[in-house]
Amino acid sequence: MFTMNLEGLEMIAVLVVVVLFVKVLEQFGLLEAGYDDSVEDELELSAVRHRPEGLEQLEAQTRFSRKELQILYRGFKNECPSGVVNEDTFKDIYAQFFPQGDASTYAHFLFNAFDTDHNGSVSFEDFVMGLSILLRGTVQEKLIWAFNLYDINKDGYITKEEMLDIMKAIYDMMGKCTYPVLKEETPRQHVEVFFQKMDKNKDGVVTIDEFIDCCQNDENIMRSMHLFENVL
Amino acid sequence: MAAGVAAWLPFARAAAIGWMPVASTPMPIPPQDKRKAQDGLIILNVSGTKFQTWRTTLERYPDTLLGSTERDFFFHEETNEYFFDRDPDIFRHILNFYRTGKLHYPRQECISAYDEELAFFGIIPEIIGDCCYEEYKDRRRENAERLQDDEEMDMSNDVTPVNLTFREYLWRAFENPHTSTLALVFYYVTGFFIAISVMANVVETVPCGTLPNRSKEVSCGDRYALAFFCLDTACVMIFTVEYLLRLIAAPSRCKFMKSVMSVIDVVAIMPYYIGLVMTDNDQVSGAFVTLRVFRVFRIFKFSRHSAGLRILGYTLKSCASELGFLLFSLTMAIIIFATVMFYAEKGSSATKFTSIPAAFWYTIVTMTTLGYGDMVPKTIVGKVFGSICSLSGVLVIALPVPVIVSNFSRIYHQSQRAEKRRAQRKTRLARIRAAKIRGTNAYMRYKQNGLLIDSLEEASKEAGQALVVKAATPPFESQHHHLLHCLEKTTNHEFVDEQTFQANCMEVSVVNKAGSRSSSLSSSPHGLGSCCSRRHKKKSSFSPPSTNNQELSTIQIRERPVSNSRASLNAKLDETVPLKCDESYITPSMVSLSAPVVTSADEDASTTTAYSQSNIVRVSAL
Repeated sequence: MFTMNLEGLEMIAVLVVVVLFVKVLEQFGLLEAGYDDSVEDELELSAVRHRPEGLEQLEAQTRFSRKELQILYRGFKNECPSGVVNEDTFKDIYAQFFPQGDASTYAHFLFNAFDTDHNGSVSFEDFVMGLSILLRGTVQEKLIWAFNLYDINKDGYITKEEMLDIMKAIYDMMGKCTYPVLKEETPRQHVEVFFQKMDKNKDGVVTIDEFIDCCQNDENIMRSMHLFENVL
Repeated sequence: MAAGVAAWLPFARAAAIGWMPVASTPMPIPPQDKRKAQDGLIILNVSGTKFQTWRTTLERYPDTLLGSTERDFFFHEETNEYFFDRDPDIFRHILNFYRTGKLHYPRQECISAYDEELAFFGIIPEIIGDCCYEEYKDRRRENAERLQDDEEMDMSNDVTPVNLTFREYLWRAFENPHTSTLALVFYYVTGFFIAISVMANVVETVPCGTLPNRSKEVSCGDRYALAFFCLDTACVMIFTVEYLLRLIAAPSRCKFMKSVMSVIDVVAIMPYYIGLVMTDNDQVSGAFVTLRVFRVFRIFKFSRHSAGLRILGYTLKSCASELGFLLFSLTMAIIIFATVMFYAEKGSSATKFTSIPAAFWYTIVTMTTLGYGDMVPKTIVGKVFGSICSLSGVLVIALPVPVIVSNFSRIYHQSQRAEKRRAQRKTRLARIRAAKIRGTNAYMRYKQNGLLIDSLEEASKEAGQALVVKAATPPFESQHHHLLHCLEKTTNHEFVDEQTFQANCMEVSVVNKAGSRSSSLSSSPHGLGSCCSRRHKKKSSFSPPSTNNQELSTIQIRERPVSNSRASLNAKLDETVPLKCDESYITPSMVSLSAPVVTSADEDASTTTAYSQSNIVRVSAL
């Protein structure tokens, strides 16, 4: 007869029977299993599909010709059919150019520099505006853009920590196999050199005026600013 | 780097401005863009279907045909487009590769057609995208298997040699019993004796009634011991003879001895001999009984006679991993459930589950859903776990079985296909033969017309009229015929068709069999030529049978020394002719191309050298 004090094996047997019972109920649909998955599916459907502004507007806002915009858009749309680049895709694309190292950190900073409205995605307008400054802008504009890139928290000052982050990100792109071998202090030393050059009043931060002034006085930098003008 | 990403290179370069203020050394000079790439549209006309794409799209892959200057070879000036005379449906996929960077394999296309197109456009198939790679590899493997089957069959069936050694002949007879009636008879006889032997093994254990002076029933084997012994002896003798013959005939004896069938043969006949050697010793009688069990292995000899058995065996061998997995999972489950059942049933009294190994039996019987009922759980817990055991048994066994079944089905269909192809071989060969004969006849006609046209030309030149040629042959054909004619002129021999050739053979062999004419043949320079020319209007040709077969010709050339004397040449012909002409294994391809020996009187010793040289030429060309 069935006694009330259940021993070990009997308990397991009872457990198994209960589990089977639950499974049967699920089959009948009386118990909903996996409820959470359905909500997420709906979100995926309304994926972001972004269409850029018209060609004339973009022509007016940027310094590219119509043909150049066409070429740019074709490349952009090919890689990102949905019309916007999110950070992961951006990192992927950028990483393909630097296979030896890890370009993800620098790509993150770059993404933030392009994403001017900070909505987490770079649309074609953002992309083309950024490129317009970089390729067709005045030296002033390019320097301002570079400053924005280095100023991670966009507070108008470049601190040593921010610069160190940027520097480490740039050195990460080199990867391990370099000559001479990358040492731990190399980024830090490089930051020190940079600050010595740029920080005129030695207050530990670089403001935008200090930055622009210093760069305009440096021949190398001025020359390299004109380097990529024929890219497109 | 993926193709699409190349479009982002300008962006990456522009973003490099971000490094400039930080750089400690000056930057290198950028490369000069000599050609400001005007991104133009390229029109690709593939068999009438026009595809258009940007030039830069194509140039993403510069090591393919479309991406390199190789496409200039296909440029059609009149229409200012690139014309390719290929399949437009497959081209679509190739162009998509340039666009998206991923090569897809369309499932409905034939794998060899697809491979050809890829090879033409210079694209290596290894870059097929992951989505289609499995399918592509599967189809490729199937195709390779099919080609290999074809080849093997061609090789095994094409070789219909005549001059086999006895050993090779014997081996062929054993492997393909259909080749000669003797082999077929032997095949059936051995099959019959296998059946007899197996049945005798079975019947001799049947109880056969009682002996008059005994009360117990005896088996037939004991009652008619002598008869069964004689039968057994006869069977074993036949098997032994067969095994020895196979051993002698085998091309590689070591390999033969290691093969499965020979092991089965040995195992089938050894018990008898061991039984003969051993006496009725009590100590070894146990082993003797074991040996009798091995006699049943004779039934495996049937696998030589049945293709189905072989397929089954092959399937099991190829499914070894699935079978192993099945075995392993069953063992795991058996141990688990046996343990559980043992402890579950431990409480109940007078239980059959005395130990875990004893519970193994219950578990196996339950999991395979046999359910003998000799061991049944009595406690409720035991019954619960027993039912779970039987349910899981069904699942565990049902899962690997479809894999084995699909393997069997694939191998079976392959063998069916091989059978069908074998049946189609005859029609295929006949078709090939007919095509060859048509070709040869067309060539003969061309030559006749040529001679005709020559004479007409001369006549018309004299008459001063233009010649109207009945141009019935297409230019390709006429050029091909002209080529054959050139070859004839080069080698100083002529082509003949099959019937004429065989007729010549018959004639010569008849002549030789007559015997008395041979000397007159060798002595008169016109001998062979004239006897043949009696049959034909034009100056032809009696080709020596030595060139029928590649093997034959190689054998012939090796044996035949280059001789310059006509008499010896004729003598050799005499020797060889009867052997070859009797055989009708003339493959059509050889006949049409064999340059016959012209043994006309006009030629002197130089012809004989030409003959032997042409023989050599022929062999090398073949």
